Amino acid sequence: MSAPAEAALDLGRELAARVGAAHVVTDAETRSAHAVDGVTPQCVVEPADAAEVAAVLRFASENDLVVVPSGNGSKLESGLVPERVDIVLRTRRLNTLEFYDPGDLTIGAGVGMTLAELDAKLAPNQQFLPLDAAHGNETTLGGALATAARGPLRHAYGSARDYCIGMRFVTGDGLIVQGGGRVVKNVAGYDLMKLLIGSHGTLGVIVSANFKLFPRPRAESLRTFACSFPTMDEALAFRDHLLRSPLTPVCLDLVSPRAQEYLEDAGTAREVEDIEPGEQRPAPVAHWRVLIRAAGSERVLARYRREMGGDVRELEGKAEADEWSKLSNFAARVLERHHNGMILQLSAPTAEVASALQAAESAALDNNLLPAAIGRAGAGTLLIAFIPLSVDPPSAMQYANAVSALRASLPYGASAWVTHAPREARLRFNVWGTSPTDLDCMREVKHALDPKNILNRGRYMV
Amino acid sequence: MRFPSLLRKLRKIAGRDAVLERREDLLLYEYDAGIHRGEPRAVVFPQTTEQVAEIVSLCHQEKIAIVPRGAGTGLSGGSLARNGAVVLGFSRMNRILEIDPANLRAVVQPGVVNLELSQAAEKHGLYFAPDPSSQKSCTIGGNVAENSGGPHTLANGVTVNHVTGVEVVLADGSVVEFGGKAADGPGYDLTGFFTGSEGTLGIATKIIVRLCRLPESVATLLAIYNTIEDAAQSVVAITAAGVTPSALELLDGWTLRTVEAATGAGYPLDSGAVLLIEVEGLAEQVEESAEAIAAVCRKQRAREVRRARNERERQLLWAGRKNAFGAIGRISPSYYVQDGVIPRTRIPETLRHIESVAKKYSLTIGNIFHAGDGNLHPLILFDSRDADQTRRTLAAGEEILTWCISVGGSITGEHGVGMEKNELMPKLFSESDLEVMRRLHDAFNPESLLNPQKIFPTAHGCREVAASPQLTQAVTGGMPS
Repeated sequence: MSAPAEAALDLGRELAARVGAAHVVTDAETRSAHAVDGVTPQCVVEPADAAEVAAVLRFASENDLVVVPSGNGSKLESGLVPERVDIVLRTRRLNTLEFYDPGDLTIGAGVGMTLAELDAKLAPNQQFLPLDAAHGNETTLGGALATAARGPLRHAYGSARDYCIGMRFVTGDGLIVQGGGRVVKNVAGYDLMKLLIGSHGTLGVIVSANFKLFPRPRAESLRTFACSFPTMDEALAFRDHLLRSPLTPVCLDLVSPRAQEYLEDAGTAREVEDIEPGEQRPAPVAHWRVLIRAAGSERVLARYRREMGGDVRELEGKAEADEWSKLSNFAARVLERHHNGMILQLSAPTAEVASALQAAESAALDNNLLPAAIGRAGAGTLLIAFIPLSVDPPSAMQYANAVSALRASLPYGASAWVTHAPREARLRFNVWGTSPTDLDCMREVKHALDPKNILNRGRYMV
Repeated sequence: MRFPSLLRKLRKIAGRDAVLERREDLLLYEYDAGIHRGEPRAVVFPQTTEQVAEIVSLCHQEKIAIVPRGAGTGLSGGSLARNGAVVLGFSRMNRILEIDPANLRAVVQPGVVNLELSQAAEKHGLYFAPDPSSQKSCTIGGNVAENSGGPHTLANGVTVNHVTGVEVVLADGSVVEFGGKAADGPGYDLTGFFTGSEGTLGIATKIIVRLCRLPESVATLLAIYNTIEDAAQSVVAITAAGVTPSALELLDGWTLRTVEAATGAGYPLDSGAVLLIEVEGLAEQVEESAEAIAAVCRKQRAREVRRARNERERQLLWAGRKNAFGAIGRISPSYYVQDGVIPRTRIPETLRHIESVAKKYSLTIGNIFHAGDGNLHPLILFDSRDADQTRRTLAAGEEILTWCISVGGSITGEHGVGMEKNELMPKLFSESDLEVMRRLHDAFNPESLLNPQKIFPTAHGCREVAASPQLTQAVTGGMPS
């Protein structure tokens, strides 16, 4: 939505006074490049530090301007379609290393830093942050925290809520706030990090974060055991066997037969529409896979080998690392091939994964969509891609119907939220799901931290 | 409301035998395991969520403060009544509602004793990982309120890492559920935010916790040093070596001798310090890690590294650690346990600083702590009947915590702020930090009826605490983790 040119000019001048003219962009081309879900901001601003972020937010709060915080913009399409966006606040200049204490295994950095940049600082000390979200080269710390992004390492290391030990952020009305600290154990004051992580930029703009680090498993000590099973039930039975065993794998992922196609290297997988009529189709991959990533000495790995089941293939070296990077980037790999695909994050109690997957299967097939699932089978956190049939693509309403049908048949305690779907489809349903019982409390929290509701207005559940 | 009428209403909600109001009955509820006290106006023991909701609703109407209390083993006064509050005792809400091995979850009432949950889960090969030293008596509700730790939280995480859902009675008596059995659902992480909020945001009436697989193998090592400096350097070296023990505890020479005299755990009396180290997991992995750690300790001049040969020896080594505070209670009328946290690289100089503080105030300070995560527990011995000693003790405690802040640390790692360290909060947090925390507090607890005057600094400042009528006369039974 474009505002009158005069207003844009004023806004530009006001913001330039706060962050410097070089860091405020109001030209039409840049603005439309930063459109959020098709809604063009009046202005893009890149503050240099917490004080400038605070100045921008205070100004926005006083003038009822809607602000969308953004890192590199790789996750901006999740959420409801906004009615209005005035300012896109980019965090990429907030990228300084605040401290790194290798002996204490702790680090603090500005959130404009990408996961890959942070990783490069840790690698020389054989340490790492187990946040293997998609697009490590583009995903900023801020984006990963705000969206509670996670990858396969979630299985052994938990998620940001478990290893983010401190955070500085700016509230909607411009207060600079520190939660937690620099030490790995700390119960002083309210745990504000828990609120900000996964709040999708609705409670504050995170400016820096502190993490507890972990020893990095040496590349040569890593192996992946890919165990194939003819059916989902057998694959999940094997998962149960693993969860009952004393093994402590680094990752434990489940891959559905259709998802497998998106983990193959480009060129080997073939689109349905590429296949000539009459040509014999390649036999579809029909097995479910359980991928177990282990780290350890030969003795430890030998123990893993003894405990494996199904049809096992062992990966090491580059092939091993690549497999997990593909799993981390599963959603992107699907969307590359099907820009009108839909991605859902499904969370279920561990024992309910089977029924959740069955619910997804029938909800998709009834609506001209094909489900492909991967995910943390132990933690019960799955990614499901709903892939549109190319011959008879679903209508916008069918996406909505598929999501409603899935939610209606999910087992108790499970939930599904849509992280990516065509805009037309998202206008027809709530990507976040039905109202949880604690919605009123969430509203109270939102009001306490963003009293004027300027941050990502209308895009979240509150 | 007139007091007798309140009591009558409480009895009508929770039962005739569920309310205490006589002075001699209330005495027991004036204490926790720390050094403060607070006199409740009454204690009520609800048995159901509905009763809790009804009591909270009644107190909300009558503007009477409420303080939830588990076993009273806390160390920061979190469960003590200020402002003539009614104490809500959870000892009758002590049922394990469900053990769900397939989902690695348990659903418990807040009064369930920590260790009893692990015992109940054992037949499924599971346990509840947070293990405060008071785990034989402390409750899961208390663990959630304080976000409790324990020796084994080094590898396994503190309470918040093991809570996936809570049922909460809010300040107006309404009941809500945060989270559930599944992890990673959408929405603000109110479960995580609530855990560790010290009873100031709501009252947990049902808790869903994660259960962990019991390890196949455990190795327990005792590394013995001539000097505490070498022991402290070993902690830094073990952390840097990239081997993560499940527990890494340090006892200084004075403390280990005191403990040895009481428990006979086998700590050598002539040593300067010992490290109690545990590794757990896959048998093959445990062997390698134990060897690697022993090698690091020897390199850091450990004069001997012993390994428990069986479960009995292992239990004995731990008995020394877990009963340490009781042992100290035998020789000192009172003690004050601190809970500061520092970056692990700063342990050696911090121990030197604590020694200098002890000298400065002419006090004995023992050190026994979770070295692996930099969580100190300096133990200051004193006699609370002696006003001057008490004053010096509190001053020494504050000086140690101020040091922890100055090296980038925190004033509490697992005991909570409560009414013990609330006046120190401005040293750690800025005005805007506290204002935002206060806004969140007010969003849930606008009239400050839930656990009033905890966490946040009061207008009075530290003088009130130091004035001593609130200090207990003797502290011997506490078992801080």
